Amino acid sequence: MDDDVLTTLKILIIGESGVGKSSLLLRFTDDTFDPEIAATIGVDFKVKTLTVDGNKAKLAIWDTAGQERFRTLTPSYYRGAQGVILVYDVSSRNSFNRLEQWLSELETFSTKQDIVKMLVGNKIDKDKKEVDRNEGLKFARKHQMLFIEASAKTREGVQCAFEELVEKIIQTPGLWESDSQPKGVSLTDTGSAAVNSCAGYCSLV
Amino acid sequence: MEELLSDGEKNAKTVTCQRCGSVVLKPNNATLVKKEKFLPSMRKKTEGTDAGGDTLQDFWLVTDMYTFENVGFTNTVENIKFLICADCEIGPIGWHDLSDKQAFYVALERVEHK
Repeated sequence: MDDDVLTTLKILIIGESGVGKSSLLLRFTDDTFDPEIAATIGVDFKVKTLTVDGNKAKLAIWDTAGQERFRTLTPSYYRGAQGVILVYDVSSRNSFNRLEQWLSELETFSTKQDIVKMLVGNKIDKDKKEVDRNEGLKFARKHQMLFIEASAKTREGVQCAFEELVEKIIQTPGLWESDSQPKGVSLTDTGSAAVNSCAGYCSLV
Repeated sequence: MEELLSDGEKNAKTVTCQRCGSVVLKPNNATLVKKEKFLPSMRKKTEGTDAGGDTLQDFWLVTDMYTFENVGFTNTVENIKFLICADCEIGPIGWHDLSDKQAFYVALERVEHK
């Protein structure tokens, strides 16, 4: 690994089926192109490099890849995660109503107390709107989450969401370590749980 | 082949996705290895035909997954995870066998060198 990498972080993307979790991870979406291998076998996780405030971080980003349909996700999915992106679809009231359950599952299984949470109201490019921006903001504030409305289709906000999340993780003492992440595919908990609690929300749109 | 190498065996150039240009590996982060491996085709199958694949021989070997700048891993099939572009998901551009935790292979033929 490069010497200039500050840290490696495990980030999860959770939320109901169909809210656009997987497409948040694509740099651009091209309707005429459907990558065969990704569609048939499914994507497990991605390694992405992000530079925030001059700090280079390597992210291992895990998407539930449809497993959420079978309820519930395994505890190992949550283990060791420093950041989570909780997604709902602004055109689906149901996906918004389910957020509380997702948070409670996260609280049950996450091994880091200070896990940084971001709420993403996705698909703002759609005409139909069932969830008002203020409702999203209110929910995020109540649960001390970062908040952003986004559209994977237009790429609006998505890059910002990842950067903001990583920035917040880096600013949270005890949540990450520069050299103790285990290497390899199985990302296990490093065992450190910080007690410092930092509350806040922010809006990027 | 020569111009792709530095120090005799490392990648001299940046390894990028053929389709979207996403950076997969920075220079000098992987080692050239010869190994015979069949990888399924990167092209989409048309109805009723088998797209097949290619038996490839030249690969960049990486020993830690965090050496990659950007890469995607598919779900496991017969103990193998295929590597795909993290940004546009084209692939497989390589593979990782779960029985060898320290070996990630990227096919030279399936990436660009810049």
